[in-house]
Amino acid sequence: MSAAGQAGAGDRPATAPAAAPPDDLMSALRALPSRYPQARGALLPILTRLQEWRGHLTPADMRLAGELVGVAAADVFSVVTFYTMYRQRPVGRFPLGVCRNIACWVNGSEQLVATVRETLGIGPGETTPDGLFSLEEVECLGSCGSAPCLEIDSCYFEQQSPVSVKALLARLKAGAGDAAATLAAAHADAAAELRRARDGRP
Amino acid sequence: MENYLSTEFRRATPLFLEEARAKGRYRTAQRVFETLTPEQVVDEVKNSGLRGRGGAWFPTGIKWSFMPKEPLKGPSYLVINADEGEPGTFKDRQIMEKDPHLLLEGILIGSFAIRAETAFLYIRGEYKLAHDTLAQAIAELEAAGILGDAAFGTKRKMRIVLHRGAGAYICGEETALLNSLEGRRGEPRPKPPFPAVWGAFGRPTSVNNVETLANVPAILEKGAAWYKSAGTAQAPGHLLFGVSGAVERPGCFELPLGTTARELVERWAGGVKGGRRMKAFIPGGASTGFLPPDRLDVPMDPESLRKEGTMLGTGGIIVIPEGVEIVDAARVFSRFFRHETCGQCSPCREGSAWSDQVVGRFQRGEGRTEDFVLLDAIMRGSKQRTICVFPEAFAGPLGSAVKHFKDDLMAVSARRAAADAGSGAAAHGTASHG
Ligand SMILES: Cc1cc2nc3c(=O)[nH]c(=O)nc-3n(C[C@H](O)[C@H](O)[C@H](O)COP(=O)(O)O)c2cc1C
Ligand code: SF4
Ligand code: FES
Repeated sequence: MSAAGQAGAGDRPATAPAAAPPDDLMSALRALPSRYPQARGALLPILTRLQEWRGHLTPADMRLAGELVGVAAADVFSVVTFYTMYRQRPVGRFPLGVCRNIACWVNGSEQLVATVRETLGIGPGETTPDGLFSLEEVECLGSCGSAPCLEIDSCYFEQQSPVSVKALLARLKAGAGDAAATLAAAHADAAAELRRARDGRP
Repeated sequence: MENYLSTEFRRATPLFLEEARAKGRYRTAQRVFETLTPEQVVDEVKNSGLRGRGGAWFPTGIKWSFMPKEPLKGPSYLVINADEGEPGTFKDRQIMEKDPHLLLEGILIGSFAIRAETAFLYIRGEYKLAHDTLAQAIAELEAAGILGDAAFGTKRKMRIVLHRGAGAYICGEETALLNSLEGRRGEPRPKPPFPAVWGAFGRPTSVNNVETLANVPAILEKGAAWYKSAGTAQAPGHLLFGVSGAVERPGCFELPLGTTARELVERWAGGVKGGRRMKAFIPGGASTGFLPPDRLDVPMDPESLRKEGTMLGTGGIIVIPEGVEIVDAARVFSRFFRHETCGQCSPCREGSAWSDQVVGRFQRGEGRTEDFVLLDAIMRGSKQRTICVFPEAFAGPLGSAVKHFKDDLMAVSARRAAADAGSGAAAHGTASHG
């Protein structure tokens, strides 16, 4: 577990849901408000960093974010509920987001959801009992030219198929001990594969 | 005209500073900072006819000319809209992931033109790779002294603040984006005041799209006359067209404005996937709605598409193949817009939900002719009665489905009703979204 809390899935404290952010994350958070003319500008970046570290946002996280920018906790709560990327409940170590919008849908995104369901037994909004995977349907990821697309912690896996999704799930499961490294490696390979398949086309 | 937006798009890794400078990047920005006045930059961009690529097609030079000439008792800001959320649009991402310094040079020149010393680059939360690439490129500029207290060795200060969003389509609307940048809910603001008067953190602000700013270095380098040699008289230059959906080779193609949809789909994207026929195409992102294939020869520019009753939008063409029903595609959009309304205005909040229910009825085989009247009432009832133009976005797919595919909607609904009656709870196939 790297402490800075920048990377993604694997950095999350596996237990201790009440854990407080480590010191180096705290100092990174404290440095953010001065980047803006008004401290409140740093609210989203602070929430994002906290969520990247914990995997979701707790009431304590929201209070902390509010204190750092001088905003009431209730106000922070109203901001958190506005944005779809913020989660208030734990999700799997690998939160799968399958795009359901037009280009992905025309290219078989429903089959990707079905593949996840068959392989892991979860549907949208659900998490596997081992806490490894959760599934969500998301809106357009800006990946329409290499549809269908799924993302895991904002790592894109593009031009997917039921076969590639099955392989991806198996690989992530096998490497779940070091989730961040496994995700990064799988992502790098998927990007290289995509480049080969598309012959350099953007 | 040679390509000037997409020269690096085929790279495996981003073009970083050393190589970028070897290719001549930042020479133009340096000349601008050392030898031009802000008025001269604004004039050149005005003369070029550059119009905003975020979807509204407002002339960029004119937008910049609204900014205060003397920084009045406080700063002006440039805010870059990298929220790219319109379904069918993936061009800004190519620029940021492959050629970050193209955008950054445009930001420097744009900031100079409006006398801003700080630029906020608002990038959608999902674009982590683009964010990290830009962070690295910005650090390079800081290390090189191009950003900092003496940009290009002049007396100007310049800094760029990267800011990540957190998932909300409406934050692409410029005043919602400003609220989001300020750490608030991403709800659009009533206008006036316009951002040039009251923008980010209450200061005069120009909001510009990523691709818009990526056009600026070439305009300053080669001049307005050069720029106007491509595209149409009213919309000069190149556009990064997207072609996605059911085509053989989807992708992002740099071509002059006014290129036909047919050329884009058939020549550049290799035609409809699997040799199928085309049922419909969407010219410029979700909000622009469906057009039948007999409109493929329409030139892709704002004026020509307006004549067709639609818009160029973001220039993201989406191809719907035969075998996919319009009603099912329309449902993808109605559900999307219902999900993405910010909910401040009742006509938009309720209208997007109602229209989704109506489309759902057609989808399930329960469509009625009265529903067309209802849809029309929803669309008319929300027009100009809301804080932002979001209702026009959801009326795009809806209105065009009714306009061009009315018989089709009724026929599909009737067929599904008959299938249901014939076989009890028979499934509608995988395309049904309930
Ligand atoms: C609902 C809605 C969503 C929008 N989304 C985007 C977007 O994702 N990116 C963008 O650049 N402009 C978007 N716009 C347009 C912006 O409001 C604004 O016109 C644009 O950023 C101005 O930049 P430009 O003049 O360079 O185009 C959206 C507008 C609306 C009404
Ligand atoms: S029109 Fe819709 S999206 Fe725009 S401010 Fe009103 S409710 Fe929000
Ligand atoms: S529609 Fe799926 S990424 Fe755009």
